[in-house]
Amino acid sequence: MLQGWIQIAMTLLILVAITPFLGRYMARVFQEQRTIFDPILNPVERLLYSLVGVRTREDMTGWQYARAILYSNVVMGLLIFSIITLQQFLPLNPTGIPAPTWDTALHTTISFITNTNQQHYSGETYLSYASQMWGLGYHMFTSAATGIAVGIAFIRGLTGRPLGNFYVDLIRAITRVLLPISIAGAIVLIAAGVPETLAGPVVVPTLEDPAISQAIARGPVAHFEIIKELGENGGGFFAINSAHPFENPNGWVNLIQLVAILSIPTSLIYTYGIYANNLKQAWLVYSIPLAILVVFIIITAIGEYNGNPAVNALLGVDQAPNLEGKEVRFGWAQSALYAVITTASMCGAVNSLHDSFMPNGGFSTLSNMFLQIVFGGQGTGTAYLFAYLILAVFVTGLMVGRTPEFFGRKIEKREVVLASFLILLVHPIAILIPGAIALAFPDQLSGISNPGFHGLSQVIYEYASAAANNGSGFEGLGDSQPSPIAIAGGAATTTTALWWNLSTCFSLLAGRYVPIVALLLLADSMSRKQPVPATTGTLRTDTGLFTGVTIGVILILGALEFFPVLALGPIAEAFQIARGIG
Amino acid sequence: MTSMNDFPRPYHVPSGTRESRRHTPKVEMKGLYQRAIKESFVKLNPRIQVRNPVMFVVWVGTLVTLLLTFDPNLFGTLQADISQQRLLNGLITFILLFTIVFANFAEAVAEGRGKAQADALRATRSDTIAKKILPTGGVQEVSSTELRRGDQVKVVAGDMVPADGEVIAGIGSVDESAITGESAPVLKQPGTDIASSVTGGTRLLSDELTVRITTDPGQGFIDRMIALVEGAERTKTPNEIALTVLLAVLTLVFLIVVANIPPITGYIAGFLSTASSEQAAADLRNGASVAIMISLLVALIPTTIGGLLSAIGIAGMDRVAQFNVIATSGRAVEACGDINTLVLDKTGTITLGNRLAAEFIPVNGHSLQDVAQVSLDASVFDETPEGRSIVALAERSGAKASFDPNLAEGVEFSARTRMSGTDLDGKEIRKGAVDAIRGFVRSRGGHVPNTLDAAYERVSKLGGTPLAVCQNDDIYGVIYLKDTVKPGLKERFDQLRRMGVRTIMLTGDNRITASVIAEEAGVDDFIAEATPEDKIEVIRNEQAQGKLVAMTGDGTNDAPALAQANVGLAMNSGTQAAKEAANMVDLDSDPTKLIDLVTIGKQLLITRGALTTFSVANDIAKYFAIIPTIFAATGIGALNVMGLKSASSAIISALIYNALIILVLIPLALKGVQFRPLTADQLLRRNILIYGVGGVIAPFIAIKLIDVILPFS
Amino acid sequence: MLETIAEIGSEWRRQKLPLYLFLGLCFNLILAPAVFAATSGNLSRTQAYWLGALVILTVALAIYLFFVMFVPERF
Repeated sequence: MLQGWIQIAMTLLILVAITPFLGRYMARVFQEQRTIFDPILNPVERLLYSLVGVRTREDMTGWQYARAILYSNVVMGLLIFSIITLQQFLPLNPTGIPAPTWDTALHTTISFITNTNQQHYSGETYLSYASQMWGLGYHMFTSAATGIAVGIAFIRGLTGRPLGNFYVDLIRAITRVLLPISIAGAIVLIAAGVPETLAGPVVVPTLEDPAISQAIARGPVAHFEIIKELGENGGGFFAINSAHPFENPNGWVNLIQLVAILSIPTSLIYTYGIYANNLKQAWLVYSIPLAILVVFIIITAIGEYNGNPAVNALLGVDQAPNLEGKEVRFGWAQSALYAVITTASMCGAVNSLHDSFMPNGGFSTLSNMFLQIVFGGQGTGTAYLFAYLILAVFVTGLMVGRTPEFFGRKIEKREVVLASFLILLVHPIAILIPGAIALAFPDQLSGISNPGFHGLSQVIYEYASAAANNGSGFEGLGDSQPSPIAIAGGAATTTTALWWNLSTCFSLLAGRYVPIVALLLLADSMSRKQPVPATTGTLRTDTGLFTGVTIGVILILGALEFFPVLALGPIAEAFQIARGIG
Repeated sequence: MTSMNDFPRPYHVPSGTRESRRHTPKVEMKGLYQRAIKESFVKLNPRIQVRNPVMFVVWVGTLVTLLLTFDPNLFGTLQADISQQRLLNGLITFILLFTIVFANFAEAVAEGRGKAQADALRATRSDTIAKKILPTGGVQEVSSTELRRGDQVKVVAGDMVPADGEVIAGIGSVDESAITGESAPVLKQPGTDIASSVTGGTRLLSDELTVRITTDPGQGFIDRMIALVEGAERTKTPNEIALTVLLAVLTLVFLIVVANIPPITGYIAGFLSTASSEQAAADLRNGASVAIMISLLVALIPTTIGGLLSAIGIAGMDRVAQFNVIATSGRAVEACGDINTLVLDKTGTITLGNRLAAEFIPVNGHSLQDVAQVSLDASVFDETPEGRSIVALAERSGAKASFDPNLAEGVEFSARTRMSGTDLDGKEIRKGAVDAIRGFVRSRGGHVPNTLDAAYERVSKLGGTPLAVCQNDDIYGVIYLKDTVKPGLKERFDQLRRMGVRTIMLTGDNRITASVIAEEAGVDDFIAEATPEDKIEVIRNEQAQGKLVAMTGDGTNDAPALAQANVGLAMNSGTQAAKEAANMVDLDSDPTKLIDLVTIGKQLLITRGALTTFSVANDIAKYFAIIPTIFAATGIGALNVMGLKSASSAIISALIYNALIILVLIPLALKGVQFRPLTADQLLRRNILIYGVGGVIAPFIAIKLIDVILPFS
Repeated sequence: MLETIAEIGSEWRRQKLPLYLFLGLCFNLILAPAVFAATSGNLSRTQAYWLGALVILTVALAIYLFFVMFVPERF
């Protein structure tokens, strides 16, 4: 038991230790200061800018920035959609997979451009290497970089600077943050045993009966894997994601993955501290998601460590870790840690089946995605966190007898509309409404495998994962169409899969672009405000007191709206298990 | 280097403490509550309710539960005793109705108090017969309501002044007690900035005045104030607007949350009917019945602040009116709370208006007696309090008026010469700013003794104003005019500093005098030897740094600065131009009231913030009361930490609490949260503890208590 | 007679609420049968109409609140 807790603590310590270095580095990159990559990258970037015709010195307004994101995302979306639907005509398709159904292709496209990587397919049997590398792998960089750009633009706006230029931010995020780390990381992963090959599946005779052979899927996994984690994408090369021994062969790779997942969203808070010239506030803000993260890890790990009393009764022991749906090489601690971190940051890679977690796990992972600020998505998580701060300033700031200000910038109608819209409204609309519809027609639409409280969690999880752009699945839903090969062989498509593909598209889009536009407009209006100098009458936002107040506001405003579904889902399930029925 | 007010204007300083002068409505408050109760039912009109989003949702919910009282199975058949359902739905309807009525009552009481205030004011404005001067020169008696801007009227002793205006002829004393509560009559005469404006509703006590009317009927300050305190012209302030957005979003969020519960419970109920029992499924379906969902919605949406928001705003205006200040908009009152910098004139605001002669300092070898005599001669025609105090001091020093005033000629003070004095038998006797006298003597060929500078410096270092006196080319000495800082100001400035408000003193005095007074009064900064142009410059500089500035003023040359300032408080005794430019007018003409206004503005914001926090914090307890009991069939009954008796009892208790808390908080909303001059951090800690943590805990206790008292199973 | 029609016409343009109510009820003609079908016999036809009306009312309230959110000055 102790070993497990030590593993968890060490991982978190490494993350905290990395934060200042990566945070400072990213600040240098986006403040266009000198970095070690300048000699190689400056000419490359200049070439890119002149090819594309980007006027690099031109700052964008919030609307321009948002439009640039939307247009470029539409173009990228069309590209990925055509690659997937045309994969049978493209090279690098050793197994000759035909195009998947249109709804699967659409869902996959939207899921990857929104940095979600929710997968209603299995990589091995649905997509060719070309689709995986050119379609998905490419978007793992661009969608992550889009997120970072939004985060940086938001930080700039909040600290009173112009928002910057989206294209420049996008390119710098890729060339100076994502690519260098990915290249180094992929090499380390290859060394640690992750395959990287364009050869098709290897066919080997089985040990039991050499007459029977087995095809083992492989492919260009290592480079895909590192950006999957670093960019908080989470879309696995193989269906079972990081539980697959080729994606995540051992504890060492597992650690690299965990650190890669959280490194950028944690460091961005530090980057804010440098921009705002207030590292004290950066660390205080940092402590909010860290505290919530630690609480969720403890809740989840305790549940997994104690195991299922019903199973334990059968085994005749008082306590045995819940290992259902887990890889034995990771055990309860690494699995619980991975599950919480992957849902806290909006990565969505999984190294165990979240469906098989004890209700504690369901509670933590769901809450993580409802809040989406427990470090949260690439760039957007940090921005949400500060939007919460703005909301906390507004709700409690009046109590000091002044119009609420955030670093001297008055919070007025426009800011309240944008912040409350984005923080409070998008999620209930994108999660609860489709969730309620799916649950109203459980047989026709949902295809729930575990009816009851757990089935409720499955449905809500799927939409929460889509709306928060997380992408992990609780699984257990009839959300996949048959593979293209199976369809070619005569398998029928299902309505439930069609419903899931289309309804989650709504949540994916609403959960990504509405907040991004709102965040950019919010940053824009904050940056245009004349700052008021601070006095003793000004509410200071960089104090422990205010940090505590913000946690309260996050819990009351962000979490309470989901209390009814949590009560009927994981909480009711926990009581059910405690009573010993089902 | 011109000096503005070495010779101060005679500020009108009201007597008595501020509390004793506080203007209490003279109209009886009896019947206020009866009228408010009646009003709170009249306000159930949907046209009125639709303007308050939170309460409108409650109103619609009440209609639906009313329908459900008649037919509990309206939206689906519940497996429960129909008469019990009817009773429960009836109770819910009743409590929801009273939630709205209580909120209406809060608003009605606030409005009623405003009306009482307005009636008291209106009484002063009642129609009077005005003697209008016709173009032909004749006089016609007309009703005061027929007077238009530019008309001229004659007012004789005993008459009411029919409307706001400016004296253009005559001199007379006016009783302004109806407006200011100050009983001493005020002298009015044409020409001077201060004393020439008269307010409608005041009474002329002596002599006769010709007044040019400066406002159309219904446009006077009193009319504006009446409209404001009655709430007739109430427009939302920026903060109220932002808060309305937040409340609408919260309401919408909970509407979505609650609307989605029935399908979700429907699914769970379907599961329970197979996994557990039909009874459990029916219980869960009953728990998610439409009436209970409406109750849950009403409990969760911020009804407390939603119901009290307008009452808080009206009461804030009312408090301003009670301080005898007319604000032209709620926005101005709110801005008072945001003020970063107060720009204050020294004279009349920081120091008592009247500087008194304290000592004669002879120079140039003259005797004390000589200086006293020359000072007396120079001040014979000076009617300002300073002038009279010089005469008094000179007489105490043994000087006597040595000439017939009819043979002499007074020389008026002007801002250009900065001197006044007397011309007598070819002798030019002058007193004035040391610089000015020095120039005067030099121009007459006299020489300036070194001892003058020493005397000047000595007086300045004492914080006094030095005035030099001379006769022709001979400087006799320096008069030490002593300035007295108003008692208690230092403490108030300390409080302001703790609240983050900086004070800047403007004075025409020299740098040394200014620094001494600034030190004594405890202001943060001062501008010495300031001209009227400096005033607007200071304001612009502060605003360029993003600060909000408040200032007071009364003269015509203050008007641009009053307009530039974020909060401009004009004195009622001031000129029409100043009053037009300002966004507030103080009827008592007390410049220090600006400090009270800052407090009122802050109090208004704090009250709103505190009730919002309280309202939001209450949701935790309401959730824990309602959700575990209505979903008890799913086995989460252990979350019922309060141990409430049943779902019905929990719902009713939460709703009763929800309605009663509005009623309980009405006095707080009307009086405002008590304001303490603390730093922002201290205020936040204190208010979070009371309204945040208190808001989490209080409903747990209250709902449990109501549940215990309720005769419900 | 003609005047009455003209008056109704002008009132129609001025008073939006009856129009919205009418449109809501019309919409319910589509919604209620859907509700009735979806609940597969648990509801009577009348209850389905009432439930449909309740759904429309909820949506109308949500639109109203959205409106308040974007133009709070008018409330």
